[in-house]
Amino acid sequence: MSTEAVSTATGLQNLTGVITLKLRTPSRLRNLELGLLLFAIAINAGSFVLVQFGVLGQVEPGMLTASFALAGLALAVHVALRISAPDADPLILPIATVLNGTGLAMIYRLDLAKGFEGWGAASVRQIVWTTLAILIATAVLVALRNYRVLQRFTYVAMFSAIVLLLLPLVPGLARTDDVAAKVWIDVAGFSFQPGEIAKIALGVFFAGYLVQHRDSLAVGGRKLLGMRLPRVRDLGPILLIWAAAMGVLVFQRDLGTSLLYFGLFLVMIYVATGRLSWVLLGLGLFLGGAIIASQTLVYVNSRFTVWLDAFNPQYADGDAYQLVQGIFGIAQGGMVGTGLGQGRPSIVPLAESDFIIASLGEELGLAGLFALLALYLLLVSRGFRIGFAGRDDFGRLLAVGLSFVVALQVFIVIGGVTRVIPLTGLTTPFLAAGGSSLIANWIIAAILLRLSDSVRNQPRLVVGP
Amino acid sequence: MSELTLLVLRIGFLLVLWGFVFAIIYALRSDLLGQRPRRMPAAAGGSPAPVPAPAPARTQAQEPALTEPVSAPVSDALPGRLVITSGAKEGTELDLGRETLTIGRSGDSGLVIRDDYTSTHHARLMVWNEEWVIHDLDSTNGTFLDGRRVTVPTPVPLNTPVKIGTTTFELRR
Repeated sequence: MSTEAVSTATGLQNLTGVITLKLRTPSRLRNLELGLLLFAIAINAGSFVLVQFGVLGQVEPGMLTASFALAGLALAVHVALRISAPDADPLILPIATVLNGTGLAMIYRLDLAKGFEGWGAASVRQIVWTTLAILIATAVLVALRNYRVLQRFTYVAMFSAIVLLLLPLVPGLARTDDVAAKVWIDVAGFSFQPGEIAKIALGVFFAGYLVQHRDSLAVGGRKLLGMRLPRVRDLGPILLIWAAAMGVLVFQRDLGTSLLYFGLFLVMIYVATGRLSWVLLGLGLFLGGAIIASQTLVYVNSRFTVWLDAFNPQYADGDAYQLVQGIFGIAQGGMVGTGLGQGRPSIVPLAESDFIIASLGEELGLAGLFALLALYLLLVSRGFRIGFAGRDDFGRLLAVGLSFVVALQVFIVIGGVTRVIPLTGLTTPFLAAGGSSLIANWIIAAILLRLSDSVRNQPRLVVGP
Repeated sequence: MSELTLLVLRIGFLLVLWGFVFAIIYALRSDLLGQRPRRMPAAAGGSPAPVPAPAPARTQAQEPALTEPVSAPVSDALPGRLVITSGAKEGTELDLGRETLTIGRSGDSGLVIRDDYTSTHHARLMVWNEEWVIHDLDSTNGTFLDGRRVTVPTPVPLNTPVKIGTTTFELRR
């Protein structure tokens, strides 16, 4: 079967057709994925068993099926990948499965501690959301055969992002109970954070917009301190996005979301133009805005005080209670943790959503937390890799943007919980309880898988040994 | 459940978790350390399976390509083929389509050139304003269009030699 290029114009055509049929054996990637996926499923089952050993002292088959539900769904995605995206990246699905399963086990563990059962239990709801999220992600994967279609929806994506961002401010939909950040909507008894989905729409919009306009954005203007600044007339978009981010900060009172969107834009404009001045300019704008906000807006100001002065007895039992208890929990965990089901993570308010990292830090310790961070790092590096290998600029930008948004979100959440930056109410991707976050992140995983299937083409021609 | 069993299980779980992390790192080692040279069939379809004995057809391959009429009909259409005019795969050709073609030593390039002079990600050939443009990606030894080193993205006219390492190719209709 010597398939060396015997290439007259017609011969090449015919030959290629035959070869593609005969030699197309991409199952190596999928087999690797299956192996890692089985490993992931074993880890998830293990964490559930350990939780039950730790809390109940015995194995109870009831909730153990939850981990099997996730396993079944992940295997279904694997089958869908074999059929519709055989060249997709083999590492994304196993990593997402482990993160999702670990979060599920921890939420279940907190339910056991609080005595929640049935629909009142966050873990049961989380299983339903996981099912929904993975089904939607599979649908995206199968329906989106060609990701370049997304480029046509650049401005549709922009408008959907704006609408999604504004939804929590609509009187009928906005959640009525008294939470600090107005990022929730209540529809038919379900609460949903539309901003999570908006980050995907924004990623698509930024990618499409920057592909079209980056040439003018890359043109340098005046030089200042050895750095070429952008031209003044090109400042429109960044000021607009900045205003939007500040709007989120002021009206929705959510520092994290605001930072997330603005950071996404900065990184994508940097990747598109290769000019550091955009990033410095943007960071300056954002810091300026945040400092002004912290002086004028009461809630931002209190966030900053709580952050800088958390252990002051005046705050430690009040506004900073959650933050301080989370840090105590992580400290209690030490190097290897108290063991799943053997700590007391339920003391921290919202331990299953905003503070799931503190709960995991307590029970899995530094070693476990760093393993999870390593998994995030690998996930994001896969995304960057997909972007790097991309054949067209839209795909490159989209892959980089979507994976960076996951990275930034992890940084904002874990940085907030560990007091590196002020605490904000974002969810940890894949881990935290919350349907909108799960759906959004699984869709991101699906888009990355689709992108990687398109770019991971083998060489068209190899010259040399 | 004794304390000891729980301790063993707890440490074991962390070890397994790290085992998973390292399993993934092991799986992507080729990305981190560079791919080991693998022989590929020079087919345009992107078929991944390595072929054990790729050499013999080469001499046949260059004949038809070299006898190909060089003077193409005058039209506005993009050059559709890339023909290797010197180097290890002399005479081989590649259908271009309109997609960007990445050139380099790394296995994820569209056109992989494995010799001592080619950089991992050496250059990129893409369509800009309806013409093929060669873009050197800061390669160590440079990309030469008609003997001159390419520093900025430069349009590649028909039948003009582009030299990367020991390989030269031309675009033809």
